Amino acid sequence: MKCEECQDFIDAYVDNELDTAAVIPIRRHLRDCPKCRQLLEARKGLRTLLDQPQLRFDVPASLRAKVLSALPAASPDRKPWVQTRTVAPWFLVPLALAAALVLVFGLAFLRKGGVRGPSQDGTLVAQVISSHVRSLLATHLLDVPSTDQHTVKPWFAGKLEFSPPVQDFAEHGFSLIGGRLDYVDGREVAALVYRRKQHLINLFIWPSESNRATALQNFTENGYNTLHWDQRGFSFWAVSDVQTEDLRALAALEMQPL
Amino acid sequence: MNDEQTRARFEGLMVPLMDDAYNLARWLMKNEEDAEDVVQESYLKAFRFFAGFHTGANARGWLLQIVRNTCYTALGARNRQEPLFELEIGQIEDTAPGPRANLETKATVEMVREAISTLPVEYREVVVLRELEGLAYKEIAEVVGIPIGTVMSRLSRARDQLCLILRDGEGNPQL
Repeated sequence: MKCEECQDFIDAYVDNELDTAAVIPIRRHLRDCPKCRQLLEARKGLRTLLDQPQLRFDVPASLRAKVLSALPAASPDRKPWVQTRTVAPWFLVPLALAAALVLVFGLAFLRKGGVRGPSQDGTLVAQVISSHVRSLLATHLLDVPSTDQHTVKPWFAGKLEFSPPVQDFAEHGFSLIGGRLDYVDGREVAALVYRRKQHLINLFIWPSESNRATALQNFTENGYNTLHWDQRGFSFWAVSDVQTEDLRALAALEMQPL
Repeated sequence: MNDEQTRARFEGLMVPLMDDAYNLARWLMKNEEDAEDVVQESYLKAFRFFAGFHTGANARGWLLQIVRNTCYTALGARNRQEPLFELEIGQIEDTAPGPRANLETKATVEMVREAISTLPVEYREVVVLRELEGLAYKEIAEVVGIPIGTVMSRLSRARDQLCLILRDGEGNPQL
């Protein structure tokens, strides 16, 4: 075993995270190599310094009570929809939304006898809203948490077959906080996350079928606003609980000449 | 399960973990006020999504993941001038050398705390999760959302930096 290899695994070694087969060659190397043994001793010394319970911060006594009192009461007296969103299993929300939208737009379509056009968007509205709701479930908002557009844009390279436009509009009140990969309409898409005051906006981007720009289309469902437009070869869907005007402002910023 | 039972189960499982939740939030946010806000918000989220938590799953890992992500969202919004991923070199150089002989526990605790807090947040979180919360690599990987190999290399670099800072600042020749 070489020293670099030993150094690569020294932490897993002191943390007891290696299986026996991996431990044996490291032990053998440590026996023969004073330099690596010194590193091991340094790690042990550091562990002694870090192994002090006083390093932890104690939770303030008042916080426990605050948290408990902030939890929704067992039978909250709220509007049914809000109540559902607060206490029902979260996965029902996008499902119910999708079902409702499919029904509404599906029927509208049947009447018109069309197969393409706004109905497609109807399903898409449901999809982007459910992606937005899913992203707020704390576990998967950001794959690349960064406020730097020059960090976020290259992150998508190699993960997507296209390179989405990534811009930060912090000075206009839309702060880029990161991005992630998402899945909408049967394809991988880029999702950029902006913060507008205390609200989060998901901006979904994927290549559009044509290069032509389209007018802004706004759909509002169950408290979520979506705004859709095409430009410069990309399809954009902004989704949030902010006002439509805010989404329009974001769209206007996106539409500025590069 | 009715609402009251759900709430009782949530309180029984999650409220005892508030020490861990607060400790992580306090280390990532670097101040009490933001840490308290993050813990509050995290518990609300956890309560809302509690139906998605399966009995027998790792409650602490589940909660810490929510806390960690809430911290990142808050950090992203809090201070756009302070890049999340850059080593704050200035702070390391500013660490005044402590008196060599002063190895009283309290002084040592402050110095080690200072050293940890100079680490960039992505190193700091693995150090806190490993050294202060005692999580296994696999649990850290789940909380942070990175592969185990990355846990290992981040921890390794974080410890290298801690050794450097503490050796310079505190007269710990063994590091």
